[in-house]
Amino acid sequence: MQENPLHPFELHNFIPIEVSGLDISINQAVLTMWIVVALVAVLMMMASSARRLVPGKLQSLAELLVEFIRGIILDTMGERGMKFFPLVTTLFLFILFCNLIGLVPGSYTVTSQIVVTALFAFAVYGLSLVMGVALHGAKFLGILVPPGTPAWLVPLMIPIELISQLARPISLAVRLFANMTAGHVILGVLFGLTVSGGVLIGWLPFAFTIAMNGLELGIAFIQAYIFTVLTCVYLGDAFHLHGHDEHAH
Amino acid sequence: MSHSNDPFYAGLGQAVRLGTELIATLIVGGGLGWAIDEYVLETEPWGLVVGLVLGAIAGGRNVYRLAQRWQGGTGKPNQTKQR
Repeated sequence: MQENPLHPFELHNFIPIEVSGLDISINQAVLTMWIVVALVAVLMMMASSARRLVPGKLQSLAELLVEFIRGIILDTMGERGMKFFPLVTTLFLFILFCNLIGLVPGSYTVTSQIVVTALFAFAVYGLSLVMGVALHGAKFLGILVPPGTPAWLVPLMIPIELISQLARPISLAVRLFANMTAGHVILGVLFGLTVSGGVLIGWLPFAFTIAMNGLELGIAFIQAYIFTVLTCVYLGDAFHLHGHDEHAH
Repeated sequence: MSHSNDPFYAGLGQAVRLGTELIATLIVGGGLGWAIDEYVLETEPWGLVVGLVLGAIAGGRNVYRLAQRWQGGTGKPNQTKQR
């Protein structure tokens, strides 16, 4: 019997709760998110509790992480961007741990739900818009006309730039969602082949399953990293309107 | 984190980024054109056509700029040192 590879993405309510027509039931996704939040919080608290001058294993891992994110922020936003450090670190850790926990067989991948990724993407993009308007006022509309545009091209460039601005949150959301979903569908199909192949030929797809799992481990890191970098780039664009347009996308 | 330094994974990240960049502008362009057709001007199907074309142009331009920025770099997606 062939298992439906989309089956792992279905949500099942553990505790159905409904408040005035609003469905706020506890399902696998909610439970997994709680686990992720608890895991990240406990790990980081354990890492920062000792504060030795010569760091232990966990503390040096945390210091590596802080340096890593600091590097991204300084690269894209400069020193002023450091006030977004808590936001960026939280986003990175949450997405990374959601991706990683999803790789444990039998668990649920929260980032394979487009609601989750779209919420993050639109929140980040909304924040960058609010910040841009607050910092630059009406001049913020200047992002729609790239510097060096000839006057006769302006009517064409405004809709094009508008589209590529609006595409930012969508590409951010779709990228994470699609990568996670596709990876897990492939894993599901390969494992289904293993089961239906039996002992004689089943070892081949099983070997591929293991290889894919290794690749997915890398994807989990890369997707969290790309999401973080683009968050910083979009926020940084709100700081300096032009001149940094080259690395804007 | 060690993965993002590996050229293979960095290249994978770039490829994935370029692909979604194209798709997203097409979705937005087509969606905007369709919405204008449907709710504002009732000029079917020209809004959708123009929107899709503009979306394709925007996507192509974004991908071109990204690829130009990455050219000659170490292959890491955040080559922002050159500013």
